[in-house]
Amino acid sequence: MSPCSQGGGPGGMALPSTAINIASTSSLSSTQNEDLKAAIFQRLHPRVYLERFLAENVRPDGRLEEEWRDIDINVGSISTANGSALIRMGKTTIVCGVKAEIAEPELDHPNEGFFVPNIDLPAICSSKFKPGPPSEEAQILSERLNDVLVGSSMLPLSSLCIHPGKSVWVLYVDATCINYDGNAFDAAVLAMVSALRDTLLPQAAYDEITGRTICSPPTSKSKPGVGLQLDESRLPIGLSFGLFGGKHVIADPTSFEEPLLDTSISVVIDGRGSFLPLIKSASGFSRSTKEDMEVDSSQQKHATTTNQDDALLKCIALAKTRHQVVRECVYTVGDSS
Amino acid sequence: MAALTSFDRRRVNGPEESFTPVFDLEDSPPSTKPGKRVGRQPTDTRSIFLQPGLISQANGSAYIETERTKIACAVYGPRQSKNTSYSEQGRLNVEVKFTPFSCTRRRAPIRDAEDRSLAVAIHQALLSSIRLELLPKSTIDIFLMIIEADGIEGCVASGAIAASTALAVAGIEMLGLVTSCTACITGDEIWLDPTEEEARTSNGTLVLSCMPALGTVTSVWQNGKMETSQAITSMEACEERCTEIHSVVAQALLEHANKNDDTSNLS
Repeated sequence: MSPCSQGGGPGGMALPSTAINIASTSSLSSTQNEDLKAAIFQRLHPRVYLERFLAENVRPDGRLEEEWRDIDINVGSISTANGSALIRMGKTTIVCGVKAEIAEPELDHPNEGFFVPNIDLPAICSSKFKPGPPSEEAQILSERLNDVLVGSSMLPLSSLCIHPGKSVWVLYVDATCINYDGNAFDAAVLAMVSALRDTLLPQAAYDEITGRTICSPPTSKSKPGVGLQLDESRLPIGLSFGLFGGKHVIADPTSFEEPLLDTSISVVIDGRGSFLPLIKSASGFSRSTKEDMEVDSSQQKHATTTNQDDALLKCIALAKTRHQVVRECVYTVGDSS
Repeated sequence: MAALTSFDRRRVNGPEESFTPVFDLEDSPPSTKPGKRVGRQPTDTRSIFLQPGLISQANGSAYIETERTKIACAVYGPRQSKNTSYSEQGRLNVEVKFTPFSCTRRRAPIRDAEDRSLAVAIHQALLSSIRLELLPKSTIDIFLMIIEADGIEGCVASGAIAASTALAVAGIEMLGLVTSCTACITGDEIWLDPTEEEARTSNGTLVLSCMPALGTVTSVWQNGKMETSQAITSMEACEERCTEIHSVVAQALLEHANKNDDTSNLS
């Protein structure tokens, strides 16, 4: 009997190991053969595959439901950028670079600079994405990141002013995904925040007579570059969860788990431990609110079932615990460099 | 016009116009004198860091770093050709993308001519090494992401090496590994593996791609002016370096294969 035909319904077989065992006994029992059959089963019946793992309280990559992937941060390796960071979250890899340029401010905000975050999900990072203009997913992600980074007010735009009404800094914060293995949002927030912490702006002066802005070169010893005036207590950290099968709360979903989720929830917490916009999306239902935590969770009650609401509170509690770990990770990187 | 073209509602937009900072040149150290290479001998190349298989989602991938040049490359395929007529031979598709922060000037995220000329150069370097006749109706997609660029010639050479390595990781049949090396003519000297600065001040540049295992050249890309004898001498010098690079690539692939064997035996 073939495991694939039996596994068609969710109640087919109980354990992930059963599927592999049956597959191997049918013919050759080499490790490679087992691996191949498990991979075929995973491809044909992803939902059942994940269900069987979760029934055993473990996920396909060996993590527990509430376990996160390791984070690795590397800052300042790109010399053409004013600041840069490379983030690896499990296998998800994102590079972020900050480029500073000079522009004229808008007339109604004469002493405010510009802050332009974008993320690119190019065809290189996964076969899910096609070459060409930004995909829908990339557009949504860029918009979310803009909301989170601007909404956190971690960087006062007035600190980017060189000369009121004449000359301000524009910070282009561009993140590129090199390897997409799920949860790009968390990784992108981390990459952008780390790159901004690494950013040095050259000292600039506006010349009233010529109307030009002249900067001291980055190599100059007498006038070295200055860091951004970031409000350390407001640096946001994104923490994403997925809800699967109505009862499993999965932290930090991978690219295999993401399309199978019923709901995904992103909690954003800043340095002081207070909550920023919370983003929740379910099938055919998406919304983001800008209220604080209490208002948010009470609003969700009307829209979702009690079961999901409990899950939401669970996510928030889990996010709070994880937040401490991630925060320390970000801060130690910045200080050592 | 500029305002219309710069606005893109698929991205988060900044101001209509912005400029690269202008630096005060009085403060900067004097630029290096032309004619004498600083820090390296004329025939020295920069050391190569090559890591196959970093992108788990791809069939094959490689990351290459030669000092400041940093390129990630992924191979997807061979997969079914879409929107094309039947073809007896496989198709090779090379796409190059620069990150906006990869160059001294910010590159706005719009495809420009440089992406394509780079893609064509790398396509040419690889094309004759791949056994496309074995893959009817299929496409091999090679995507290169330039994270940091240090001269366009260096990007072509490093890109070709990374792409050939990634093809090998993907298990696509090739006649041989392609390696590539650059040279430039400054004064009467031939400098190998020039940086952006060195290539800019030179008379002419040359990129040679070859399959050292077969002793065949796959592509030569020459720019600027150089005498025939200089071109031939620099091609010979490049070919010699390519043989050395070939052993670096082979070593990296061997280590990658051994590591994968170990992990699959353990599990």
